[in-house]
Amino acid sequence: MNELNIIATNSTPMIRTDGASGTLQLAGDSYPEHAFEFFAPLLAWVKQHLAQTDAPLRLELALLYLNTSSVRILMDILDQAEEAFQAGRDVSLTWRYDSDNERVAELAEEFREDCSFPFTIEACETR
Amino acid sequence: MKPQDLLALRETFDRNAILMSFNGPFSATLIEEIGLALRRHLEALEAAPSSITDVFAIYIELTQNIRHYTSRNAVPDVHTGATLVISHRADGRYEVCAGNVVQYADGEALLARVEALAGLDKAALKAAYKAQLRAPIEPDAASGAGLGLIDIARRASQPPAAFLQRMDPALGFFSLQVVI
Repeated sequence: MNELNIIATNSTPMIRTDGASGTLQLAGDSYPEHAFEFFAPLLAWVKQHLAQTDAPLRLELALLYLNTSSVRILMDILDQAEEAFQAGRDVSLTWRYDSDNERVAELAEEFREDCSFPFTIEACETR
Repeated sequence: MKPQDLLALRETFDRNAILMSFNGPFSATLIEEIGLALRRHLEALEAAPSSITDVFAIYIELTQNIRHYTSRNAVPDVHTGATLVISHRADGRYEVCAGNVVQYADGEALLARVEALAGLDKAALKAAYKAQLRAPIEPDAASGAGLGLIDIARRASQPPAAFLQRMDPALGFFSLQVVI
């Protein structure tokens, strides 16, 4: 499977995948003007990982600000993760955020409302 | 611009406590650069991290909405610019205002959407947001700004105020004032 290792820019997050362990890492801000284009390789990876392997799916997020089109993409990924979890796959998510910025926790919390797989929101102290 | 007019412009800026402003065509790169400058500026003013996120988010949604609208060739090329003003008001609140030229009918549809959102409380806005999030994307929808507008309304401390001014029989200037 084609692994992704995409470096963060100001408006796009770091993306790293490891199919063997089923780990998907996303970190940073995400507000590309054309989010669907930017995330197409990631959506393809998730689809392929779920369709062609039985490996777990471990989402490790340290996302900060997401524009609404990035929110749509992430919701699409979490919907697929939820479906896989319902079908018996080992799925989990951890979202780390800086305890100073409560907006990130609120964003993560809204995603968690629609997921039944293990979903941890973890505050990190920076000061 | 005549040099003697600069003082009047400065007084307008001072009177409205304008932190940053922009007028003209936007590119994706320019949106990003101004956004980064805005964030650094707010950090230097020691704004709360949640306020910085909200001002930044509203700025991004407004400018990207305008970009998406103008990229559909809805208005003649000479009118693809946007006017943006971010201020820090005397009451301590931040305010983002953005305007652009629209087809008058599109402006009316947008006005109706903003007015409909103004009647919703926080819980109803959240429900509308979640419903819109799962709604199919309609590339040619009249406003093209469904989710972004709801996101803006949710982050605002009072309902966003919209205004539509007629410029000629077909076109109008649509502006939105958002108080954080």
